[in-house]
Amino acid sequence: MNPHANMIIMSSLILGPMITITSNHWIMAWVGLEINMLAIIPLIAKQHHPRAIEASIKYFLTQAAASSLLLFSIINNVWNTGQFDITQSTNTMSSTMMTAALTMKLGLAPFHYWLPETLQGTTTMMTLILTTWQKLAPLTLLMMINQSLNTSLLVTLSLLSMMIGGWGGLNQTQLRKIMAFSSIAHLGWMTMILTLSTKLTLLTFYTYITLTTTMLLTIKLLETNKMSTAMTSWTKSPMLNAMMMLNLMSLAGLPPLTGFMPKWLILQELTKNHMTIIATTSAILSLLSLFFYIRIAYYSTITLPPNMTNYSQQWRHKNQQKPYLPLMIITSSMLTPIMPTFMMIM
Amino acid sequence: MLKIIIPTIMLIPTTTMCKPTQLWYTTLIHSMLISLLSLQLFYPSLQPIMNFSNHNMAADQTSTPLIILSCWLTPLMILASQNHLSTEPLSRKRTFIITTIILQMLLIMTFSTTDLMMFFVLFEATLIPTLMMITRWGNQMERLNAGTYFLFYTLMGSLPLLVALLSLYSNTNSLSILTMQLSPTMLKNTWTNSMWLLAALTAFMIKMPLYGLHLWLPKAHVEAPIAGSMILAAILLKLGGYGIIRIMSTTNFLSKTPYYPFMILALWGIIMTSLICLRQTDLKSLIAYSSVSHMGLVTAATLTQTEWAYTGAITLMIAHGLTSSLLFCLANTNYERIHSRTLLLTQNMQLLLPLMGTWWLLASLTNMALPPTINLMGELTIITSLFNWSNTTIIITGLGTLITAIYTLHMFSSTQWGELPQHIKIMAPSHTREHLIMTLHILPMTLLMMKPELIWGPLYC
Repeated sequence: MNPHANMIIMSSLILGPMITITSNHWIMAWVGLEINMLAIIPLIAKQHHPRAIEASIKYFLTQAAASSLLLFSIINNVWNTGQFDITQSTNTMSSTMMTAALTMKLGLAPFHYWLPETLQGTTTMMTLILTTWQKLAPLTLLMMINQSLNTSLLVTLSLLSMMIGGWGGLNQTQLRKIMAFSSIAHLGWMTMILTLSTKLTLLTFYTYITLTTTMLLTIKLLETNKMSTAMTSWTKSPMLNAMMMLNLMSLAGLPPLTGFMPKWLILQELTKNHMTIIATTSAILSLLSLFFYIRIAYYSTITLPPNMTNYSQQWRHKNQQKPYLPLMIITSSMLTPIMPTFMMIM
Repeated sequence: MLKIIIPTIMLIPTTTMCKPTQLWYTTLIHSMLISLLSLQLFYPSLQPIMNFSNHNMAADQTSTPLIILSCWLTPLMILASQNHLSTEPLSRKRTFIITTIILQMLLIMTFSTTDLMMFFVLFEATLIPTLMMITRWGNQMERLNAGTYFLFYTLMGSLPLLVALLSLYSNTNSLSILTMQLSPTMLKNTWTNSMWLLAALTAFMIKMPLYGLHLWLPKAHVEAPIAGSMILAAILLKLGGYGIIRIMSTTNFLSKTPYYPFMILALWGIIMTSLICLRQTDLKSLIAYSSVSHMGLVTAATLTQTEWAYTGAITLMIAHGLTSSLLFCLANTNYERIHSRTLLLTQNMQLLLPLMGTWWLLASLTNMALPPTINLMGELTIITSLFNWSNTTIIITGLGTLITAIYTLHMFSSTQWGELPQHIKIMAPSHTREHLIMTLHILPMTLLMMKPELIWGPLYC
């Protein structure tokens, strides 16, 4: 890509969510979302592969539909309340429509169909951007309007996302698709607690970003795109491969790894609000995700395949060791003991 | 407590850095020293108080024997795995030893924590190293299935426990074992509280395992490497019993009716699993089912919630921990020579390994609870307390003891006597290392016969 174009695209990609996050006015927030969307379309389609083009079209259509729905609900809200303040979106109908629009942007069930398809069509780095940075702006908007959101609607949506994230991932062999379903399940946890405690949503989001980034960077470094290549990934970097298992367990939320921390706090908040049945259900639904994470771990770390590699000389490639990866792995697996510190600063 | 935990943590750098030729005996001697150091925990636990080591950790008569047992098992695991790992490259040997050390560290903390939430987190944390041990170092391909069973059975039970603990916390604002004992939360006999109790107990019942929820255990035992089998039989099952005792003694539950289904399953399970043992063809599976049968007694005892029952439960847990670990080691010596777990293919072993025959005899005798072993002490106390709870249980427990004796004799006679199988052409003689493992199992059992009050738990003050 032309460096000038690349610079413009990358800076708008960063600028878009920044505008959304800092704005107090609905139109500015919407403008930020649009800038961001327009910037990422060429990035998804950069490969000039039919599948990448298809992914970018899918992404564009869903995001544009969500944006127009959001704009419509903004105008509806303005018509009823007479102001553009994001935190004052008190109209019930428009806040429900906003929920639909923003969850569509996030890729929450039942508006999740675009996410696995788009992620499978692009590169691992674009997957990383789509699953982390692109969630930032819609999630912030949801957190800003959380006063006027409907709790039972959100809880239903998030339970549905956990189920679909778990069950959808069981059927996949492509790692990026699995990460997409894992993203859906995690977003379910974030929206579950949204109306009760936005701090916990943020904490879950940060943890999710850390874990997903580590996982996707590992996938990128080991060049494993599917289960069959995961089997021979130990030849490239045995230590990283072993640590990948810990990271997967952390994504699944097994205590005492980092991934358990937000789940623990969310369950505590839910039981404090007498939502015990929902807490138990969501805890048990996380076992569905655990199953496919552990399957990746079985393929990549636990078993050694009878054939050494898919093609010869795989271990002769000198892979570039990333200095930030050990730090990220430690963060993504051993953060639970310092949870009290998090509680204090948040 | 820190003087056990910090050396245990420092064993990890020792393992990664020590010379390849010295790897096994350095870790062995180091962990053995730690287990000797842990013995001094016995001294304060002879007084009826909690022995606080810091704000969050304490040991009392219930937990001290289990802490010491988990310290004792680590050198034995390292010793037992040497042949199994002899073909592995050095880095994997180191990783294996580190896994056992992390497991020991987690177990010590699990047994010594004073907070139920912390107990839960550490209880779950032991899953990951155990899962790695079973699935990474097992022998057959079915180990992956066994690992999945192990993980999902345990988690399915313990996630409701997490929610139960959290809801208790939102009511009482504390989950400390000590404060809850001082101000017991009287749970009224309501539907909600019965559900709470069910959620809190099921996790431990699966871990024990209770008959009906036990299917993961034989799979895990059969597929696990020797160290995995040892730790699973000796300590991890006891986490369930320990958890029940802790939950029971901290929350006073008014009604006894919610226990009845568990009680029925536990008592019925004693008979059923003993009968299953009689028709096993797989040696390791037989020992695993024998564990389920013995743990049924412990479950039944802990549910009656009397002092005698707790004493019997702790005594039997320690006794069975050492015995079943010993039996798995013996099964492994056969497995390493014959490469089969099938009972029919390992007949008349006393002709080939005569001294091993002696160990088999001693192990079988302790497993069938012959006087004066501590196994008998535990079983007798449990049977007495169950008889006190209801007279008719003597039929089941008596029958259970009888069938236990029968299947143990069956196991002993079919491995040690009979026709020597034709396929055994060449047989490695037994190793001094193997005899050392057996001795280190028998020795504490013999010594505890002479001073059993160390493992009598709350009864002995």
